[in-house]
Amino acid sequence: MSAEKPAIAVKGLSFQYPDTEEKVLKNINFTLNNSEILGIIGPTGAGKSTLAMCLNGLIPQIIPGEIEGEIFIKGIDVSQSTVSDMSEHVGFVFQEPENQLSQMTIEEEIAFGMGNLGVPREEMEDRIIDALRQVGLSGFEKRSPLALSGGQQQRVAIASVLAMRPTIMIMDEPTSMLDPKGKNEVYGVLRNLKEYGMTGIIIDHEVERIATYCDKILVLNEGEIQLFGTPEEVFTNIEFLHRLKLNGPQVTEFVYKYNQEFNRELKLPTYLEEAVTVFEKEKI
Amino acid sequence: MNSLYLQVDSLIHSLDPRTKMIFVIFVVISSFVLNDPALQFVLLVAMFPLVVIGKLVKPYLISIQFLLLFAVLIMTVHGIYNPIGVTPVFELFGLTFKYESMVYASVMSFRILVIGTAAVLFVMTTHPSDMASALVKWKVPHSLAFILLSTFQIIPIIAREAKIVMEAQQARCLDVKGNLLQRVKNLVPMFAPLFIITFMKVHQLSYVLECRAFSRKGNKTSLHETKITSVDYAFLLGMVAVLLFEVYLKLYMMGSMQLTTDSFLIISLVSTWAICGLLLVKFLLKKVQTALGGIN
Repeated sequence: MSAEKPAIAVKGLSFQYPDTEEKVLKNINFTLNNSEILGIIGPTGAGKSTLAMCLNGLIPQIIPGEIEGEIFIKGIDVSQSTVSDMSEHVGFVFQEPENQLSQMTIEEEIAFGMGNLGVPREEMEDRIIDALRQVGLSGFEKRSPLALSGGQQQRVAIASVLAMRPTIMIMDEPTSMLDPKGKNEVYGVLRNLKEYGMTGIIIDHEVERIATYCDKILVLNEGEIQLFGTPEEVFTNIEFLHRLKLNGPQVTEFVYKYNQEFNRELKLPTYLEEAVTVFEKEKI
Repeated sequence: MNSLYLQVDSLIHSLDPRTKMIFVIFVVISSFVLNDPALQFVLLVAMFPLVVIGKLVKPYLISIQFLLLFAVLIMTVHGIYNPIGVTPVFELFGLTFKYESMVYASVMSFRILVIGTAAVLFVMTTHPSDMASALVKWKVPHSLAFILLSTFQIIPIIAREAKIVMEAQQARCLDVKGNLLQRVKNLVPMFAPLFIITFMKVHQLSYVLECRAFSRKGNKTSLHETKITSVDYAFLLGMVAVLLFEVYLKLYMMGSMQLTTDSFLIISLVSTWAICGLLLVKFLLKKVQTALGGIN
């Protein structure tokens, strides 16, 4: 039943915090299909996090404000169910790793969410091993989460969401506190989501990685959707991005600059491999 | 890990947390039923084998030192000054220790030691998570058990934040080495941000918990299962038997028994003095050693 319905459907979403004059989100409409990865980019204060929190009902149920429009997750109306019930479908990873950890050991941390969902113990143990393997932290079960580095802590937070086996995973700037290796690992997890048939949403400023790993890109500015489409559609529109004070991936920027300087008409690539191919053709 | 729990493999560790909680309650009741210093001393000595079984002798002795300090103070001050005392027992530097007040003081001190021993046994052998899941089994609300457990987790986080705030304020020329008044004044610029930071962290954590289905209705499961085994039953039965015996003693034997003699009281008082004196000497020696080490 749910397979036919889009993973996420947002219709006419607007939102205003009680203490602000202007709306943070203005008439947002988009749909995301199952097993697609969506990257949300935009300048700070564009409403990216607010949009993400609307999707699992944190807004307006926990964080109050005026909300308009409808959000359907797998055909379920978010406004009709609680955040806790939504957490079976939507997993949420926050920006600060340390604030997301509340238990004494890593295995308990990962088991916490599952315990709330009533997962039997035998299955818990399998899922813990599985989740830790997915984030590359196998063998860390008995360690204290506080004794880890920021990158490792963030991966533990991701693992504890993964263990709950949601179908949709939302990550709100999960890599901003991480070193490059940690960033790669988080994006590796993101790519793996597809194999598990999961849908992913990632908010980040790392355009290169977003262009490589995401199926769809949503550009948000001052609460409005500016662009929505595949990485190719979005990042080849590079002049428009520049007007929003955003950058494209370095390879796109490079070819764009190259075209301008030498009056060429090369196709704008969005990721490294594509750029190599474009240049290879150019030589011949 | 920020609790006093010590990971050792022992019989006491493998007991169900609920049994151990009952044990603490049992000891508290016993210490009130046995309203006699000599019997309480017997109870204290009887608990020592449990400490040995729990393989906790050294950490136990370290933590009981602090309680002994209380015992010495109570025994000395009460023994001399408590107005309920009439019969003099002995005299020291012109101060008279009286029988009734010494009994009163000993009962109180031994009670502290007995209950302290039981508490130390419980805390050192029970993992906080196990305690939380045991509490949930006793129909304590999940959120309450979580609050208890998260306290262990948040203390080191607050400590770390406090250090960051202090360093940040020092970088802004906050004088932390001034006189006492100045330092007290400085508590405001230290604690105000710390309080706000902690509050924000907890706030954020509440979102996270909500996203992990914390307030979801229905059955919850736990990774650690606490099980009551035959050993637990044996332990519980033992406690009941001892408690019955105590009540029997109290009801029928108290009149004919006179365990608390003058010499017992004097010995217990002098020996606590002696132990405390030894500890003091040890402490001072250590101080001198570090001071000398600093010079070298």
